[in-house]
Amino acid sequence: MKINKDIRQTSRQLLRSSFTDGQLDSGRVAALVKSLIEKKPRNYVQVLDAYKRLLRLEIEKRTATIESASELNSTAAAEIVANLKQRYGADLATQFAVNPELLGGMRIRVGSDVWDSSVRNRLQRLQAQL
Amino acid sequence: MSTILEEIETQIAGLKTSTSKSNVGIVRETGDGVARIEGLSDVMLNEMIEFSSGVFGLALNLEETEVGAILLGETSGVKEGDEARTTGKLLQVPVGKALLGRVVNTLGQPLDGKGPIRAEAAYPLEKIAPGVIKRKSVNQPVQTGIMAIDAMIPIGRGQRELIIGDRATGKSAVAIDTIISQAKQNKAAEEGRLKDHRPLYCIYVAIGQKNSNVARALAVLEANGAMPYTTIVSAPASDTATNQYLAPFAGAAMGEWFMDNGMDALIIYDDLSKHAVAYRQVSLVLKRPSGREAYPGDVFYLHSRLLERSARVTEEAGGGSVTALPIIETQAGDVSAYIPTNVISITDGQIYLETDLFYQGVRPAISVGLSVSRVGSAAQIKAIKQVAGKIKLDLAQFRELAAFAQFGSDLDAGTKARLDRGQRIVELFKQTQYSPIAVEEQVAILWAMQNGYLDSVPVDKVKQFQTKLQDYLRSRKEGVLNAIVSKKTIDKDLETELAAALDEFKSTNTF
Repeated sequence: MKINKDIRQTSRQLLRSSFTDGQLDSGRVAALVKSLIEKKPRNYVQVLDAYKRLLRLEIEKRTATIESASELNSTAAAEIVANLKQRYGADLATQFAVNPELLGGMRIRVGSDVWDSSVRNRLQRLQAQL
Repeated sequence: MSTILEEIETQIAGLKTSTSKSNVGIVRETGDGVARIEGLSDVMLNEMIEFSSGVFGLALNLEETEVGAILLGETSGVKEGDEARTTGKLLQVPVGKALLGRVVNTLGQPLDGKGPIRAEAAYPLEKIAPGVIKRKSVNQPVQTGIMAIDAMIPIGRGQRELIIGDRATGKSAVAIDTIISQAKQNKAAEEGRLKDHRPLYCIYVAIGQKNSNVARALAVLEANGAMPYTTIVSAPASDTATNQYLAPFAGAAMGEWFMDNGMDALIIYDDLSKHAVAYRQVSLVLKRPSGREAYPGDVFYLHSRLLERSARVTEEAGGGSVTALPIIETQAGDVSAYIPTNVISITDGQIYLETDLFYQGVRPAISVGLSVSRVGSAAQIKAIKQVAGKIKLDLAQFRELAAFAQFGSDLDAGTKARLDRGQRIVELFKQTQYSPIAVEEQVAILWAMQNGYLDSVPVDKVKQFQTKLQDYLRSRKEGVLNAIVSKKTIDKDLETELAAALDEFKSTNTF
């Protein structure tokens, strides 16, 4: 994907102005996208694409994906969410998923950080060490 | 057996309790030996990255949302959507004496089929060069065994001397001869024939060369018994640009181990023009901005940080040294191209090999006027200085007069004497490949020349005179040679001994 400098700068500006008080504001995002589509500035489709990508990365940074081998019970889930919010701030969104491939345990991903206590990971590490 | 079981148990116990934290990213784009990875927010520059397929990469470009990494090893295993995670480690290569006699690739893995290498340590590829405090001035010679170099362009331990010339002018031959000479001296020292000799271990880094060339170099080194003191790091033309770019740094790391442990090492980078080309390729596929001749802006830094790592360190820091002999191939003798000027300015002198001289039969085809050594003369032993001091001047005068010599034969006696002397020096400095001359023999030959013993010898018989003289000294006058080695200077006694030996030699041989 070839992006020129203008597109990158505009999309970055758009991202900067989609925050209110340090938090992503969906209302502002919608308004920005709407005005962009109405005004149709040069390269606006590519700008939107780049903006979408930046937004996705921003949302990923504030979303915790919690994978477990089997369905978690509600008290455990609540405890995990509380723990994560303490670490990453109250605006952290959470998302639960079941992944039997983990064999057991959990794998939590927030942005680029991954905490892995799954059996699969331990086996892989053991394999690497032996 | 039980200890192994215990070990595994402790490892399993360690795994049970720990939750591993890692920093990951997703491969968004891959090809041409590089990958662009989204995420990896905590990655560090030059850090190793592990892909889910087990392949490793090196993070070279850290951008706002993406990381550009070069892939090491099998690149086809990395696909879009793969997970990549940071390892917190720098790329390392095995180092130590276990590598001597081996042929390895950029990562220090054996290529010679002689089994695994049990190295005692691993060193990072990129390391900051020794600083000012740790350094010491160059004061010990590297005897290349090539008379023209040892007499006129001496190289010291810790120096960086560039070998530059067109294709097929004997650049690699000079390097290989130097390695063979070191092996001969190391062996002589081991057998007790050479006192106070610090062994010099050699590392030959072949970058972007034909595999057949590397194989030939290996065969020559083996045939001359040089491999026990030599490591070959090979990143041939068929290797990836990544490996070619990293190979000299791997060689430097291996050399640094010797330096850190108080030993001396000699590294030959053959050649840095191809290295610059490989780095240009890596940079262009990583979409770094290009500059002159499409080389990236930091191609100077690439070579300067590599060559800065050769040094001679103080006794407190171990007293070792790393000498570098980088090789640069010029196009049609153009030394003012981008990469040659860069490397000329970084190194402490250059040996310039000329095509014309090569085809005139002057081999090694060293151009005396353009070759210099900025620090090496401090490292020459006194005896060589005594006999070789004036040679460079003599030769320079000869070159100037040679042009006039063509116009006529009515020259004055002084000019004629200079021309005769010059012709004989040129003849003396011709040397066949793979036959280094020991320093004491060099001293004796040059002394004979300085004192007019060659003036009566016809120019075409000079080489014959030299070989016969060497044989004679080795077989009949070993005492004189040993005296040169031990005294390291020519005093009155030695002078009379040399004169007596040469008179006797000349009376028994006619030329």
